[in-house]
Amino acid sequence: MFRRTPDAEMTSVRRALSGISFRLLAFNVLLVFLPAAGVLFLDTYEQHLLEAQERTMGQEGRLFAAAMEAAHQIDSDHAKSVLIQLGQRHLARLRVVDDTGTVLADSAILGPRRESESADPAPPNQPAQRTLLYRIGSLPVRLLRALGAPAPVGDDAFDIQPTGQLLGPEVNAALEGRYGAATRVMDDPARTVILHIAIPIRIDGEVAGAVVVSQSTSRIMSALYAVRLDVFQVFLASFAVAIVLTLLMATTIARPLARLRHRAEDILDRRGRLRGGFEPSHRSDEIGDLERALSQLTRRLEEHLQYTEAFASDVSHEFKNPLAAIRTAADMALEVSDPEEQRRFLGMIQGDIARMERLLTEAREISRVDARLDEEERAAVAVDGLLTGLLESFRLRRGDTGPGLELTVDDPGVLVKASPDRLIQVFENLIENAISFSPPTGTISVAVHSAGATVEVTVADQGPGIPPEHMDRIFTRFFSYRTVKSPEDGHTGIGLALVKAIVEGYGGTVVAGNHSGGGAEFVVTLPRLVD
Amino acid sequence: MADTVAVVEDEQNIRENIGFALKREGYHVEVYADGRAAWEAFQRSLPALLVLDIIMPRMDGLELCRRVRGISETIPIIFLSSRDEEFDRVLGLELGADDYLCKPFSMRELIARIKVLLRRIALDRLPDGGDVQVHRVGLLALDLQRYTARWDDRLVPLTVTEFMILRALARRPGYVKTRQQLMEEGYPHDTFVSDRTIDSHIKRLRKKFVAIDDTFDDIETVYGLGYRYREQG
Repeated sequence: MFRRTPDAEMTSVRRALSGISFRLLAFNVLLVFLPAAGVLFLDTYEQHLLEAQERTMGQEGRLFAAAMEAAHQIDSDHAKSVLIQLGQRHLARLRVVDDTGTVLADSAILGPRRESESADPAPPNQPAQRTLLYRIGSLPVRLLRALGAPAPVGDDAFDIQPTGQLLGPEVNAALEGRYGAATRVMDDPARTVILHIAIPIRIDGEVAGAVVVSQSTSRIMSALYAVRLDVFQVFLASFAVAIVLTLLMATTIARPLARLRHRAEDILDRRGRLRGGFEPSHRSDEIGDLERALSQLTRRLEEHLQYTEAFASDVSHEFKNPLAAIRTAADMALEVSDPEEQRRFLGMIQGDIARMERLLTEAREISRVDARLDEEERAAVAVDGLLTGLLESFRLRRGDTGPGLELTVDDPGVLVKASPDRLIQVFENLIENAISFSPPTGTISVAVHSAGATVEVTVADQGPGIPPEHMDRIFTRFFSYRTVKSPEDGHTGIGLALVKAIVEGYGGTVVAGNHSGGGAEFVVTLPRLVD
Repeated sequence: MADTVAVVEDEQNIRENIGFALKREGYHVEVYADGRAAWEAFQRSLPALLVLDIIMPRMDGLELCRRVRGISETIPIIFLSSRDEEFDRVLGLELGADDYLCKPFSMRELIARIKVLLRRIALDRLPDGGDVQVHRVGLLALDLQRYTARWDDRLVPLTVTEFMILRALARRPGYVKTRQQLMEEGYPHDTFVSDRTIDSHIKRLRKKFVAIDDTFDDIETVYGLGYRYREQG
């Protein structure tokens, strides 16, 4: 059952993954994803930077438009000259179109080229997105973009129409007198994004043309790429650390737990029986606590099993005596021919059968007390009231024969929480025991005494007392040192054991002893109920 | 003269029934309710056979058996017990009991065993002479009718069971007898005895012979098989 087959190995691997180790890993990895969430923030940041760039481009465009408007005319030469003047200071590409969209001047064709020109196929400062690491990290994002983004449009397609016109929504908007803006993705490997804005040029209130400003976002993008790469590196490093941490945690938590499980399984043998105890290790942590709890549990279980076994063996032993008497009496009843003798043996059989029945009842009673006393209903019981009633019923049953019964109470109305029936069983057994040992002229004194948080009930007789050699076994079930054993006297040896079981079940104690007057004395101590 | 059988049993009905049955068989019966009362009586005079309950108040059957064996090595003792645990059985036989009956027992069987044990004892009282059969192996002489053993002409007090085990071993010196075989010889009526019972009888046998001659080592243990009586060279 607990042999380690390949199957079991598989299961254990699966169990290790689905167990605590897996959860540890999940938590750690989730923590690692926190820096990755920073990428989302970077997107907002990118948006801000792009807006700022667009504003700057707008200012440039307006400045240029103002310069054109100041000249009150729009022609290619003038535009070119202004472009040349301004061109040196501008990072963006500026183009001037007339009211038909025809390009009059283009800063890219004019002055010396500067960095971040729109159509630059490989911007020099974009190395980050070239690295393998970046490609791996950005794979999901790139996939998303490939799915959702519009197909790239070459700047040239927008730029040079056969008619020399510059067309596009932003140009159209500007030519209609509004501010126009558009974003285009270049058809190059870097997917360079170009921002285009168009500002109308008004001459005498009429839209005479437009200034189109375009600039690559590659500067912003490359900076962001670098940051993203850093974040990705941090993420990878944290991921590695998380795995190492998880392994460490697994070895300090999950592994000892798995070992504990194996040891716990070993407590049972193949047939599922308890086999030996469970020795806790000396760990001082929670796993050590668990081991100690388990050890205590198995010890209690073992004790209980032993108790049950011993009980069964005791009961079977106790049954054999009346059974032997019945068998021999039956043998003899068949053997003899005298009807009087036969009647005598049959009577003997009847008596022993009654004794077996009594034994059975009492054995069931004591095992019920052992197992279920806690489940029985309890009430606040006045001890003196209960004893008064009990003694009265004894007097009614016995008449004036036998020893006298006497009750003294020093604190009337003292309460205990118990089942009244069980309490009656306790005192009935003690009093019956006292009566059976008491001389017929003696007195049995029952005293109730409350001492602090407890109530003491003493039952004392004037009999011979308990022989010292039997003192330690007096509460053992089926133990009896009575020299005369016959079915008639009805002592099964369970009475005092039952008393002990009930009293201890209620958190009390019962002590046997001999008092100075010579007789036996039983002291029952129960926790007092304070109302 | 009828033999006296003592019954020591704390259960009144069992005691009465055994007493009644034995009287019907013609035996004298003494009954005692506890070991101490019985011991007091046995110190004055021993009956021919004892039937002892094991668990009794005041003095249990095992203790009583031990004390009786201090007085007589040969008196047959039958234990009655309500505990059928191996431990009690072995302990009882180790203390020198001849037989062991578990409660509830059949009266017929008890009577039969009492008769067997008493018949062996009765042979002991045969007058000397006649066709006395004596089996001799070296210094050992076994009187097969009286169930007595002598070592170098000194009487070794043996219980009937011990005698029968020794007889089985000495019948063929040098040959191994298994515990099973010895059990069948020693307890012709009882199939419940265990191997360990034989071991404890052998232990007692050796002790008794060593007490007479401390060089005695004629009963040999053959490990894994059983016992044998040393072949006389």
